[in-house]
Amino acid sequence: MISADVLIIGAGPAGLQAAIHAARKKVSVVLVGKTENSALAGTHIENYLGIPGKADGSEILRVGSGQAEGFGCRMLRENVISAARKDGGFEIMTENDTAIKARAVILATGISRVKLGVPGEKELFGKGVSYCAACDGNFYKGKTVAIIGGETESAASAELMTAYASKVYWVAKDIAASERMIRKAADAGAETVRASAKAIIGEDKVTALELDDGTVLSLDGVFIELGARSSADLAMDLDVMPEMDDSIKVDSSCFTGTDGIYACGDVTGKPWQLAKAVGQGAVAGTSAAEWVRNNVSE
Amino acid sequence: MSVIEVTDASFDGFVGAKYAVVDCWAPWCGPCRRIAPIIEKLAEISAGEIAVGKLLVDSNPATSRKYNITAIPTILVFKNGKLEGQIVGLNPGLTAESLKDTVLEM
Ligand SMILES: Cc1cc2nc3c(=O)[nH]c(=O)nc-3n(C[C@H](O)[C@H](O)[C@H](O)COP(=O)(O)OP(=O)(O)OC[C@H]3O[C@@H](n4cnc5c(N)ncnc54)[C@H](O)[C@@H]3O)c2cc1C
Repeated sequence: MISADVLIIGAGPAGLQAAIHAARKKVSVVLVGKTENSALAGTHIENYLGIPGKADGSEILRVGSGQAEGFGCRMLRENVISAARKDGGFEIMTENDTAIKARAVILATGISRVKLGVPGEKELFGKGVSYCAACDGNFYKGKTVAIIGGETESAASAELMTAYASKVYWVAKDIAASERMIRKAADAGAETVRASAKAIIGEDKVTALELDDGTVLSLDGVFIELGARSSADLAMDLDVMPEMDDSIKVDSSCFTGTDGIYACGDVTGKPWQLAKAVGQGAVAGTSAAEWVRNNVSE
Repeated sequence: MSVIEVTDASFDGFVGAKYAVVDCWAPWCGPCRRIAPIIEKLAEISAGEIAVGKLLVDSNPATSRKYNITAIPTILVFKNGKLEGQIVGLNPGLTAESLKDTVLEM
């Protein structure tokens, strides 16, 4: 079990800046997240104050991670799969089964990109296309389904669906799920298909899934679970109700209205910009550290 | 008015009202928890005009099958017992007021 005064979920610019500001306030800080999944990774930024030309987003993240660690933040390069209130604080579980106890939590999870963007996806939503295996699994008893996505969440959904469906394909080109969950999905009988989805096929309900290698899988349901556990789900785990557009409302101190929980960056809504992520990160890191110092007796 | 618990057995009678809305949900469905306050508010602001109910899909499979529900939350909208609309999933613009207007304009 790891303990932290301030736990930050998300390794984008908002989370990293929050880590720097919280750590400088002399509280213990742990950050969980994968920088390579930040919206900034692989982009070029031309509108950030004081940085001329096209700044390399991945480089900003690399240098920023080093700065956060330099100020004493501990970094875990993995995803959070669940969060809960516990003993007056919070307990977070990661995909590799690490439990982290924290006094304050900062959600810096960015925007979840849930849509696959392939033909048939929009038209067949609710007619065999679903974004939540936990919600809709029960409708596919004895049927054939595919789960699309390479992270631990999708492997967990593939495992879950084996309890309902008679045949489960786990379709993932690049696999980033934890070894433990990959094994569990395979042991439960899910068949891994290393390909990308190209089109979802069906007239008034899903009948097949076409893959980029030309294969066509006949099936009844397609579950799209692209990223890590969503900000909206994590927020609800922590008694914070997201807005209908999935953003999390905060006040000027980045406080969510639920004791000990702060949010910053793209997850708080538009504008989705580096400058705002960094600015709110500084505010959230400072606010969370101050809250811990003022509210927790040693 | 509060939201009425509807079952397979009571379904046809319930949706026979002039206007009826049924929220199909399950407790472990996160998006369903976010629709719930909208449905509660709809019941409040449309008392006497729209019958507002909720149906637990897992305990009431016959209704889910009849209306081809394969994703929740699904909101079913009826006028005089006839299905007039089906709203699947979270719709960022959805409010109790907009839902009320949509139903009464059907
Ligand atoms: C193509 C493109 C071009 C852009 N160009 C510009 C530009 O020119 N100027 C500009 O200002 N902005 C630009 N942006 C936007 C900018 O990148 C974002 O505003 C910024 O990255 C937001 O930072 P963030 O930290 O809030 O979120 P992100 O950078 O998205 O980071 C979110 C982090 O949370 C993590 N995470 C999510 N869920 C979990 C979980 N369950 N467990 C653990 N970790 C989790 C992710 O892995 C990631 O590390 C661009 C974005 C894109 C995609």
